[in-house]
Amino acid sequence: MGDEGNAQTPRRTTRASLSSTPNPSNSTGKLNLCNQQPLTIDDLAYGDESISFDDLISSLPGRRAQIIELLRILGPLDSPMFPVFVYGGASTGKTSSILQIFKHLKRPFVYCSCVTCYSPRILFESVLNQLLLHRRNESNRYLSVKRCEKPSDFVNLLQEALRNVVDSLKGNVVKSSSKKSMGRARGEMVYLVFDNLELVREWDKGSNILSFMFKLYDILKMPEVGLIFLSNASPDTYYLDTGYVEPVPVYFPDYTEDELRQILMKNQENPKLYSSFLEVVLRPFCRVTRRVDELSTAFSPLYQIYYEPLDDLGIVPSGDVKRELFSHLQPHIGPSLNDTFRVENRLSSEASAKTNKWKGIAKKMGVSESSDEIDFHMSACAKYLLICAFLASKNPATLDASLFDSTGGFSNGKRKRKSSEKSKEKKETAEQDLLLKGPGTFPLERLLAIFQCIVSVSECLPDDEAQGNGGLEGESWTNGLLSHVLLELSSLCNANFISKGGSCPLEGANRYRSMVSEAMALEVARSLKFPLPKYLYRGG
Amino acid sequence: MGVENPAEEAQILLRTRLCNPNYIFTILSDSPDSNYSKLKYIMSSSVTEACNNSALLLGPRGCGKVAILEMVIKDLLQEYPDMICVIKLNGLLHSEDNCALKEIARQLCIENQLVFSKMASFDDNSQFVISMLRECGLAHKTIIFVVDEFDLFTQGKQRLLYSLLDAMQSVTSQAVVVGVSCRLDADQLLEKRVRSRFSHRKLLFLPPSQEDLQRILQHCLLLPTESSLPPQYVAAYNKKFLNMLSDDKFKDIVESLCDSDSTFNHLLRFLFVAVCEMDPKSGFLSLDNFKTALSSIQRQPKLEALQDCSILELYILVCLRRLEVKEQETTNFNSVMKEYKSVHDSFQTADYYERNVCLRAFEHLFQRELISLVDNRGHSQSVEFRPVRLLISSHELHQGLKSYRSCPAILHKVLAV
Repeated sequence: MGDEGNAQTPRRTTRASLSSTPNPSNSTGKLNLCNQQPLTIDDLAYGDESISFDDLISSLPGRRAQIIELLRILGPLDSPMFPVFVYGGASTGKTSSILQIFKHLKRPFVYCSCVTCYSPRILFESVLNQLLLHRRNESNRYLSVKRCEKPSDFVNLLQEALRNVVDSLKGNVVKSSSKKSMGRARGEMVYLVFDNLELVREWDKGSNILSFMFKLYDILKMPEVGLIFLSNASPDTYYLDTGYVEPVPVYFPDYTEDELRQILMKNQENPKLYSSFLEVVLRPFCRVTRRVDELSTAFSPLYQIYYEPLDDLGIVPSGDVKRELFSHLQPHIGPSLNDTFRVENRLSSEASAKTNKWKGIAKKMGVSESSDEIDFHMSACAKYLLICAFLASKNPATLDASLFDSTGGFSNGKRKRKSSEKSKEKKETAEQDLLLKGPGTFPLERLLAIFQCIVSVSECLPDDEAQGNGGLEGESWTNGLLSHVLLELSSLCNANFISKGGSCPLEGANRYRSMVSEAMALEVARSLKFPLPKYLYRGG
Repeated sequence: MGVENPAEEAQILLRTRLCNPNYIFTILSDSPDSNYSKLKYIMSSSVTEACNNSALLLGPRGCGKVAILEMVIKDLLQEYPDMICVIKLNGLLHSEDNCALKEIARQLCIENQLVFSKMASFDDNSQFVISMLRECGLAHKTIIFVVDEFDLFTQGKQRLLYSLLDAMQSVTSQAVVVGVSCRLDADQLLEKRVRSRFSHRKLLFLPPSQEDLQRILQHCLLLPTESSLPPQYVAAYNKKFLNMLSDDKFKDIVESLCDSDSTFNHLLRFLFVAVCEMDPKSGFLSLDNFKTALSSIQRQPKLEALQDCSILELYILVCLRRLEVKEQETTNFNSVMKEYKSVHDSFQTADYYERNVCLRAFEHLFQRELISLVDNRGHSQSVEFRPVRLLISSHELHQGLKSYRSCPAILHKVLAV
C-alpha cells in the first residue's frame, strides 16, 4: 500500500502499534517499553471504544456488501464458524475491513501477516506470542515465548494456548456479566487472522504448510476458534495435490469508479475543489488502473498543478474557474498517464541516497527510466564497462573482430547497411528473436577484450574533451590494474546493471548479461562522448 | 440471555450443530450396515478379544471418515473405560519418522502420567514405545493408533508403519491401527514388508445418497421442540422449513449443489452460509437464503478477476490471446507490446499508453494470476523477456468481456479478428 492510500483508508494496525497506542493508561510508558504493563487477556481485542456499525460502514466506502457478508459469517456472539477465505486484488481493503470489523465487534483475535512472518517458525511463534500474551522486549532478550519450528509442535502448543485463552475468556464473561466495563474483550471465541496467505506458496515446503493451515480447523477440533485467511490470490490458485477442505469464500472486488471517488474524497480539505478535479482526471486514469494506492500517488502532484493558479484554496469553484483550471491542467494529464513513477530532482548532497534508490528501481523494472540526463554518479570506468556489457549483449560475438579493428568501426557501418538491404526477412526474424530472447550472455573474457578495445579507441579519439576526461583515466586502467576493473564490474553486478548468470556447462566460466535498456546505454555513452551507435550491430 | 431474541439463539444453535461433526453423523450411525457399525464391530472385537488388528478407512475428502472414527472411539471409551488408550497421528504433521515416534511417546506419556523427555533420541523413543506396547498388552489395555492422512506416511522408508505393524505381530501386544486416507489406493502404496503385516480390512466412505441428504437436511436445520426457544416460534419455523423442503425450487438448488461436489463437507458449508444469511428479524430460513448461499459457494474466480481488470489490462489480455491464435511458440512482454502497437495502428484505439505503464499493467495481471510465466528458469532475465502464457481460455475471455460493465466495443472487434 502506498503512503497516500494509508492516509485515506484506515490505518493498517498491527498488534505492536496497537498495544502501544490505544490504551490511555499506557501513554506515559510508550517510550520506555520495559515499563509497559503486562498484557492481559483483554489486549487480544481492540482496547479503545468500539465503533458503531454506521461508523464501520462509512469508514470503508464501497465495502458495505462485503462487511455485511463478513459480519454475517462471524455471526452473533459465541457462535462457532467455518474457516473463511477472504480474497480480492491488491488494495481492495481486505485487511482494513477485517481489522475495523474486529474493532466494531471487540472480539479477541490474533493477527499475523505472512509478509512480516516470512517463515513458518516466525509465523508460529508470532501466533503463540500473542496468544500467550508475551511481549518481546529487552528483559527477555527479544526471545519468543516458545521455540517452535515444526507444525506438529505448533499444534500442541497452540491447542494448549487456545484452551487457556478460551478458559480465561469464559471467566471474563462471568465477571463482566455483573458489571459491564469498557475495554473488555467480548465473547468466548478467539479468531486467528492470517494475512497475505498467497506468499506461503513461495515458501520452502510451502504446499505442506498451506495444506496444514487449511486443515488447521479440523486438526484443532475446537469450535471456539475461528480462522480467517486473507489472500490476494483467488482460491483456485492454491494448487494442492491431495486437495483440502475448502473454507467459505468471501470476495472483495476492485473498487468501481464511484467507489474510488468516495475513497479519494475522504479527508480532503476542500471537497468541492477536489471533486471538480476528480471529474477531470478520474475517468481517464481508471482506464489504466483502478488501484487506490497507484491512483492517489498519481493524483497528488496533479492536484498541486490543478490548484496552482488559485490564490485562495478555500474557494468553491464556479463554472468559469473550473474551465480555467481544466485548461491549465489538461496538458499535464497525458504525460502523467504515461508515467509510473517520477524521480524528482534533488540536491547533490542526496545524490548517493538517490542512486541507491535508483538502483533498487532498476532492479525491479529492468531499467525503463527515461530521464533527460543521467542524474547519478558513476565512475568513468564503470560507465565504460556498462557500455561494453551492453555491446557484448547486443552484438554477436563473431562481429567483434571486425567492429573493433584499429579504425574503430567507422567503415563497418557502411558494409553492414549494405548487407541488411540484402535480406529483409532475415532482419525481421532477427529482430523478433531479439524481442523474445532479450540481451545475450557473454563470458568475462569477451567483456574485457571489448573494454580494452574501447578504451584504446577513446584514447586516440581526436575529440579533445574525451581525451581530457576519459582518456587520462583510461591510460591508468590500461596500465594493468585489472583488479580495479573487476571491482567495478562486481559493483555493477550488485546494482543489477549487469547480471551474473549460471556457469556454462561446457566452458565452465560464469556468463554475464547486460540488464540495461538501449536508451539508458545511449545516455551513458553520450555523457562520455562515446560514439556508441557506430558500434551497434543492427541486424542483418 | 437469548430470550429477547429467539432468532439469534436459533441461529447460534444451528451454527453450533453444523460445526460439530459428531452431531451431523449420529443420524447415519443407526443402520446395521453403516460404516459406523462395521468399524465399531472391528474395533470392539479386538478390544474384547485382546487381539491385534488394522484397518483402512478410505474415501474422498469430506465424507466423514474421521468424524465416524471419532464417534466410534468415543463410544468405546465409554463402554470400556481404562481399557483403551488412543494415540493420534496426522500425516501432515508427523510424516517424518523421528517426529512421529516422538509424538507417540509424548501422547503415551500423557496418557499414562509419565514424564516426557524432549531430549530422548529416536532409539530411546522406539524402545519406550515397544515396551509400552508390551506393558499395555500384559495389562489388557488396547492401544488404538489413529493415523490420519495415511498416504503421507508411505513416503520414504515407511519405518514407522513397519515398526508399528511389526510390533503387533507379537502375542503380547494389543493394538489397533486405523489408517485414514483420501487416496483409494493407499494400501498399494505400502512396501511389501509392510503390506504383508497389514490385515486388509478396508472401509469405503462415499458421499451421501439422496435419502441421506434429506435426512441430514432435516436433522441439521429443524429446531428442537424441547429447548429454551419459545414453542410458537419453533413450530412456525419448522413448518415453514418443511414446506420449503418439498418445494421444487429448493430441490433444484440442492441438486445443482450436488452436481459440483456432493460430499458432506460441501453440503455443510452450503448450509452454514445459508444459516448465516438468515434474516435476524423474522428468524426464518427462506429460499433466497439458500440461493445466495449457492452463488457465494460456487464462485468463478477467473471471471471475477477479469471484472477487476482495467481497460488497459484487458487490452493486454486480448493481445496475448491474439498471439495465441497466431500460434507463436513463445510470447513475452515485448511481443505483446508489438501486437499492442499493431492493434493500435490498425484500429486507432483511444487507449494507447507508454511502455512502462503497460509493464505495470502486465505485472498486475501476474498478481491477478491471469497470466503466468511459462517456466521458472532464467531468473537473471528481466520480466520483459521471459515467456508468459495466458491462464484463461478464450471462452472465459469472451464471457468476461461481455459482462464487463463498460467494455469498449473495439475490444470485442480486436478479439474477434
